[in-house]
Order: sequence, then C-alpha cells, then structure tokens
Amino acid sequence: MSSLSNGGCFAHCPKPIGGCDGSRELLIALIGSPNVGKSTLFNRITGGNVHVANWAGVTLQRFEGTLSYGGKRLRVVDLPGTYGLSAENVGERIAREFIAGEKPDVLILIADATSLERSLYLVVNALELQGRAVVALNMIDAAEKRGIHVNEEGLQGRLGVPVVSISALKGFGIGRLLRAIIDVAEGRSGREEPLLVNYNGLERFIARLERVLGEAGFDRYPLRWAAVRLLEGDEVLMKELSEYPEVASEVLALREEARRELATEPESLVIASRYEFIEELLMDNVERVGLSGPSVEEALDGVLLHPIAGPLVSVTLILLAFLAVFTLNTGFPVTMILSAVGLKDLSDLIESYSLTGLIGSLFGAVSSKVASALSSLGLNDLLVGLMSEGILGTLGTLMSFIPLLLITYMILGALQDSGIFPRAAASLDSIFRRFGLSGRALFPAVVGFGCNVPGVIATRGLEEEEERVVTSVAEPFIPCQARLAVLVVISAAVFRDPLHQAYLMVSIYLLGILMFLLSSKFLRKLIFGSKEAPELLMELPPYHVPSARVIWWYARANTLHFLRKAGLIILILGTLTWLALNSGPSGYPVETSGSFASIIGSFLAPVLSPAGLDDWRLALALEVGFIAKEGLITVFSSISGISDPVGAIRALGMTPLRAVSLALFMSLYVPCLATLSVMLSELRRAKYVAIAILIELTVAFLLSSLFYSIGSILGLR
Amino acid sequence: MGMDRVPLSSLRPRERGRVISVSGGCGAARRLMEMGILPGEVIEVLSNSFGPIVIRVRGATFALGRGLASRVLVEVVE
Repeated sequence: MSSLSNGGCFAHCPKPIGGCDGSRELLIALIGSPNVGKSTLFNRITGGNVHVANWAGVTLQRFEGTLSYGGKRLRVVDLPGTYGLSAENVGERIAREFIAGEKPDVLILIADATSLERSLYLVVNALELQGRAVVALNMIDAAEKRGIHVNEEGLQGRLGVPVVSISALKGFGIGRLLRAIIDVAEGRSGREEPLLVNYNGLERFIARLERVLGEAGFDRYPLRWAAVRLLEGDEVLMKELSEYPEVASEVLALREEARRELATEPESLVIASRYEFIEELLMDNVERVGLSGPSVEEALDGVLLHPIAGPLVSVTLILLAFLAVFTLNTGFPVTMILSAVGLKDLSDLIESYSLTGLIGSLFGAVSSKVASALSSLGLNDLLVGLMSEGILGTLGTLMSFIPLLLITYMILGALQDSGIFPRAAASLDSIFRRFGLSGRALFPAVVGFGCNVPGVIATRGLEEEEERVVTSVAEPFIPCQARLAVLVVISAAVFRDPLHQAYLMVSIYLLGILMFLLSSKFLRKLIFGSKEAPELLMELPPYHVPSARVIWWYARANTLHFLRKAGLIILILGTLTWLALNSGPSGYPVETSGSFASIIGSFLAPVLSPAGLDDWRLALALEVGFIAKEGLITVFSSISGISDPVGAIRALGMTPLRAVSLALFMSLYVPCLATLSVMLSELRRAKYVAIAILIELTVAFLLSSLFYSIGSILGLR
Repeated sequence: MGMDRVPLSSLRPRERGRVISVSGGCGAARRLMEMGILPGEVIEVLSNSFGPIVIRVRGATFALGRGLASRVLVEVVE
C-alpha cells in the first residue's frame, strides 16, 4: 500500500481533546447505507432523547440525540442513509459536508454483517475521509445464524479502527461500542490519518494532483481524498475549485490523461478498486459455513415479484392491513357489516369503544368538567367557552389524530420493515410511471389512506426532490380515515340499501386514487416542466419478521414529530374557528345561525350552487371541515340538535343527488389544517401549499358540479 | 472474444450475466457502480417482466428501472 505523500498533510487535525475540565461534548456522526439498521442503532444509543430538525436548505430531516456515557456527554447526529459519499444526491452531499465542515470527533460507521461486501463500501468511503471512527457490525446475530462468522480483530487490524459486533435491535454490544467511541475520541485508538486504498494505475495521477492541490492551498478536505474524488469527476468538488482556475484546468487535463493511458473511466477504476480492497479484506476475515439457500425468500419473491400475481397480492395485503387499521380506529367496516346482518347493538358498542370514539367521549367529559370549574371561579362566559370548548375541543381533535397516526404507522411500518412493501413498490412501479411517479411513491400514497399527515411525512423516503413535492401536493386526494367517517355517515343517511352505500364509498375511493395519480402527472409538468419519473433503483431488503420494538420507535417518533410540528398551528386555527362559530355581531354566545361563521357560510353558499350545495349550513360545515374533516358531522349535529349523525344529515333534507354531490365535494376539497401544516413544515414553501389548496378546491368544485349538472339533466333527484 | 453483448434488461429470469460496461449520464452510472454493478461482476436476474427488473448482485437484491438496466451491457454466463 502506498504511503501518503507529503507526510503530515492531513487537512484537519483532531481537535484538542479533554480541555481543562474534560467535560466537552463529543460530536458523533452516525453513517450507514439504507437498511443497515442505522435508525435502530440511533434510537438504541440515544434512548429516544431526540431532537428533530431539517438540514439547512433542504427538506431532509436531521435527527440529533444526546447521551452520557462514562462521564462524557455525546451528541449524536444521524446522517442521511446513503450508498456513497459522492455528493450525487442531497443525502450524500449533506453527509460529506457534515464530516468535512463540522469535523465530528468520531464517526460511527455501520455495516450490515449479513451483507458485508456491499455495506462496507460506504464504510471504506468514509474512512478515506476521516480516520477517527468506529465500525459497528450490525445484525451480527442474524449473520451468525446464517453461518457468517467475522474475525473482528482481523478487520480491525486491516482498517486501523475499532470494529465492534453489535445487534442494535437486541441491544447487544452497545456498551463496547460506546467505550470504543470514547477511546477513539481520546486518541487511544483509531487512525490519525484517513484510510489508504490502493488505486493501482491511478496512483501516479493521484500523487500528482495531490501536489497541485497542496501547492494551491486547497485544504478543506484531506488532500488524497480530494485528489481521488476530483479524478473520479466530482462535480461538487469541481465547483469548489472555481476559485482556483489553474488547479481546475490541471484536474481536467490529468483526468483526460488518465482516461487515455488507462483506457478506462477513472471513475469505474476507483469504484472497482474500493470493492477490490473490500473483497481482499473479507477473504481473510470472513468465514461462511453451511449457508442454507434462502428458499423461503425465493418462494416469496416468486409470488411478490411475479408480473401478474405481484401487484394483485400487494394490493390485497395493503387492503387487509387497512381493514385492520380502520376497524381499530373507527370501528368501520366491521360495524357496517354487523348492522347489515342485524346486530345493531353490537355495532354501536364497537363504534363507541373504537379509539376515536373513546377519545371523543373523554374530551367531552373533561370539557364540561373544566367549564363548570371555570364558571364557578366567576370567569366570564366567553373565557370559559374559549378555554373549555375552543382550546380543549381543538386539543381533543388533535389528540384524536394520535391513534389514527400511531396505528397507521404501526401496521404500515410492519409491512415496510418486513421487506414486503419495497417489493410491492417495485411491482407497481410500471403503473406509477404512467403518472410520472416511481414505485417509491406507493408508500406515501398508501399511508395517506390512514391519514394524509403521515402520508406527507412519508414522502421523505423519495429520492428525487421533484417527486417528493409532487407526491406531497397530490397526497390530499387520497381519502383519509376522517373522510371515511363522514362518508360512512352520508352514505348511511342517503341510501338504505347497504349495497348502494358500498357503491358510493368504493366509487369515491377509486376517484380519489385516480385524482391522486392524474394530478401527480399534471403537477410534475406544471411545477417542474418535466414528465419522466426518476428511474427506480431500490434495494429490496431481505424478508424478516418485523420487530415490535423497531415499529414502536418508528410510530412513536413520527407521531411526536407531528404533534411538535403541527400542534401549535392546529391549536391556534382551531380556536379561531371555534370563535367564528360561537360569536357573532351580537357578541357571545350566539346561536350558530347568527355566528360570524354562518355569515361567511351564507356568503359562500351561492358559489356552491352549481354543485347543488347552495345552503349556508353545508357551506358552514365545509368551513369547519377545513380544521378536520370529521368536523362536518359535528356541525350537522349542532345545527339540527340531533346527536345521531345519520339522523342529523337526514334532517338537512337533502335529495340523494345533492348528498352524493356533498360526499364528492367533501372528499376532494381543501386538505385539512393538519395536512397543510405538515406540508408547509416539510416542503418549506408556501407556494406548494397554495397550489395544493387551489388544485384540490378546483377539482372538487368541477367534479361535483359536473356530477350535479349531469344528474339534474338526467332528471335524477 | 466473440461473446454477445446484450443489455441487462434483455436477460430472462435465472439467467446470469457478467457486466461488460455501465454507461449513463447524470450520475446514473456512478449510482449503479456504487451498488456493486461493476464491470466483471456477475449479476443474476431474479425477475424480468414489463416492470422493473429484479437482480441479485453481491448478495443484495435490487429493483432496477428498465432504462437503467438497459445501460448495463453484459455477456451471458452459464
């Protein structure tokens, strides 16, 4: 192995360690490819003590956590999961910038012990950039079960940094890992200088370029690393070189010379050399015994990746998962089936004991207790109402999102974690491509049926920024559970025949899916002027039984994230809406019909006449539906004074035609407040939120008007 | 050597091909190579119908869009 020329040129020497009190916080960066268990390890070592923010300038999430170990405080930053550090995409650029710019004290490089060859690629990449690191061989238990045995010391000797076998899931080896981190931070182990990989024929050119870079004083990165990257044709690094025009032209000349002399692309030579290094490393240090063929895996793949069976089985699995989610949260469709077969009492029981029902009655009870407590204190009526109904009521709405989110996350998280979902995404890719999306967009789309909020958040898994924006903006067309609840009530109120009820619901769902797909295609063109979806390049992780703990971490972290990000906006706007509903020109309290909201409602109602919804009560309900779609039912109940929602809707005296038009409009019009808040916090552009509101309102208005006009012409009522 | 060079996308399930070259702009070639799809590497095709092609390389399974797969030239091996 060649030695580093101009010895001691390592650009960023480790920061002075210890200081006077030895209590300096250590900055630790977590680096790993997708599917190596990075988040699991992050959660394991930080124990949920996590802070979420966005990486500067992009929509990617930045997770940060702290912990104390051996008298030291460690600040752990979870860098985006990437396959390399070539700044080819946002995640790679962030990871690289972070290492070069923030100069973490120690890197934790995670490799998957069951798939060492590939997961070590990133490890080697990172070690070439910074030597102060620890390698964590994750899933060592699974590897050993498959007959893969790794010689830790051998790897350690060759890489020059501590190598620790762990199981992030089972918590095995974590203490050793943390001790190794402290050792490296305090200079007792690890490398002072980055790892050297032999680039064979390219070495001469690397040495020459290193000299040029050194003379020019380009010292943001280790010289050798920068030289290799530049020969590979790194665009981002080339841009940084724009201040050194003579160096830049030297780079181009050297790259051209290397290409000619070696008769190949320097880029492929570099990547191949890294893999060669890894192969050599593994040949000496990994023993595979009695590997049984992955027969179950093959059988499952045979079905899930089959051209016809694949999409069918995928869709069926997703449907089944949702039946479970819906029943747990709202009681539907089990309640509907029960009442259809005449077990009305049982159906009511399940409905009131569904999570949404329980939270609703809990907050109702608390609210009236608070109200009486406050009035006994002699507060004026407006303040009592504002606190007990306005603020607490909105808080109740916010809380009712929690089971919706948690359960959606848990069931879909299990599908994702088991490896089934990525295969479903691959098998539906060709259908999605027709609409300018990739198969990856399946996950956010499907999550949206549970709730659009996590659906928007799930777009983080999409690689391309354009696809992320398009999918988020189109997301609200996917009918969520709140809309499902309203839909169930409307269809029950209008049609007595359960079969007709089912027709209405299924049509609305199909329409929502269609609108999601069509608007994605349209939005990609409108916003970005391009038509093609990014080509799929996705790893299909091995199947495994999903871990309850991982799913719980995932569901909890994301739910808390929603509450933190969107909670305040929802609370403020929800309280304002309560005020609009309960106060009017004559003060407080007023009948709903004399409220500011109803004034706005009667003002808006004529606009809705093409859709047959020219009624201030409907306009008012739709206003409230902006906060949360289930609010529609509350409004109908409070106007009619009938608490049974089906009865309340019947009391409006709508013809079936108008009721269906309402169902149509309600399912497609403006996304709820929570979705919009999350869209804003995720995409960070008010423009996209405005587009979402506009396109959804337009589509809802046009389709329901079209439906109502055609229906009227045909003489339907 | 007279071996036929065909795009990876034309291989049938269970067929294996040795990579001859990987081309493609906008970093596509780089992404493929970093995943381990390098000249000399043997790739097994697991499924290939009208959708993305599914391959196994270096012990990992990938779904690969057809456009990307056609940029990888391979020779069929036994």
